[in-house]
Amino acid sequence: MLKNFLYLFLIVAGVFLFSGCAGNSSGKSGLSDELLSADSLNPDAPLKLSEEVIGDVIQNISSPVEMATLIKSTGVAFSQKILNDPDNLDKYSTSYKRALNLGVFAADLGYINTFDKNSIVISYLLAVKNLAEGIKVGQFFDFTALKRLATNSNNLDSLMEISISSFNKMDSYLREQNRSNVSSLIVAGTWIEGLYISSSVIEETNNQDLIDRIAEQKDIVNILLIILENYKNDANFATLSTYLQDLKDQYAGVKITTEFGEPKKMEVDGSLIIVQDEISHIKVSPEQMTAIINQIKKIREFIVS
Amino acid sequence: MLIENSKRMKKIIISLFVLFSVFSFSGYAQCGEDLLKQALKEMGDGQYIKDFKIELLKAKKDTKTGYVKFSVVLQSRSQYKFNVVDEPANAEKAIMQLYFNDKRLVSNFENGKHYKSCGFVCGKTGVYNLVFSFKGGAEGCSSAVLSLVKQFSESEMKGF
Repeated sequence: MLKNFLYLFLIVAGVFLFSGCAGNSSGKSGLSDELLSADSLNPDAPLKLSEEVIGDVIQNISSPVEMATLIKSTGVAFSQKILNDPDNLDKYSTSYKRALNLGVFAADLGYINTFDKNSIVISYLLAVKNLAEGIKVGQFFDFTALKRLATNSNNLDSLMEISISSFNKMDSYLREQNRSNVSSLIVAGTWIEGLYISSSVIEETNNQDLIDRIAEQKDIVNILLIILENYKNDANFATLSTYLQDLKDQYAGVKITTEFGEPKKMEVDGSLIIVQDEISHIKVSPEQMTAIINQIKKIREFIVS
Repeated sequence: MLIENSKRMKKIIISLFVLFSVFSFSGYAQCGEDLLKQALKEMGDGQYIKDFKIELLKAKKDTKTGYVKFSVVLQSRSQYKFNVVDEPANAEKAIMQLYFNDKRLVSNFENGKHYKSCGFVCGKTGVYNLVFSFKGGAEGCSSAVLSLVKQFSESEMKGF
């Protein structure tokens, strides 16, 4: 009897000891067969940048929060027609397009949530869930919980937090699984859509703060290009890189200078606040901004079509 | 003979039980989940952007822990808030430092005082590095949240 008990104990102990490992397996480098279809990424292409470096750099390239908040501050009315239509989902049959448009819909959700448009948020959450499942990261989006929050106007702040948190967790998971290639496509999609929405608002309002914000993305274009070129042995990535290179060329004339001053420190309500001693000044002509916006539209059209 | 086997069996079971307990309870169980909820509560009225889980444990041969680094893109003319919540079992509070181009800009530990949160008014869009550590290389588990407090126009920035 004692022997039987011992065997049972060993089995239980083994289950506990090893169950923690199952969710954290790092898997093979990059490109899991279970995710990708035959038309997708080349698993044998050597990476110029390590997964760690890529992960470090793309962690937060395109949070939709700042752009959406700035857009709202212009006083412009919400417009659904500038967003990607969830009905376009059927067009996205490859992992490449799904990842890119998952990023696009993430930016759209940020915009929708900032304007508290909970009447349409559910269709966008569904689109996100659909695309996330298509690239095997659907587990990060608890659609039932998100839908419940979306239908209650008192919970919109929570909805925003949980939506963003879900994307952050998904992004961390992809990088832990050495799937930074997928993560980089999502980030690119979010970034371009954020710029596209901002561009639409600029065309309507000519808002200088938004113009400056788009112009400041000059350095971010370079970073994104470096990351995507890392995978350029794949034809899909190479195409996107070409579009971004053209965008980088349009940014060439934008001047960003830095004014150095003294850092300022203050204590407010028990919290320490530092004002940076470097301030950017942007110089971009209307013609340069028009050319940048036109290229942003081209890239966006490529992504969502 | 039967009694001896039985005693030996009991010793093995007790040893295994102790071993199992050590594996189950070592380190900080589920570091982060409850801390994150607390950190989000303490975030205030800002808009949540990202959270960071800090779990530093000593490797076998090390006497101290190191640090963990995250990269974040911050936009100019934006005021951000970083708030940190520490696991009560921590021997030390987490030290948070923000760097830009290897220059340390802000820390939640200044002049011997530890702040639960710090704000940063960003003047230049770029990739910033957020570094967390524990004083003296202690082990610890903490959670930090980055949120957007407000955004400024160019003229408002001059007012600082």
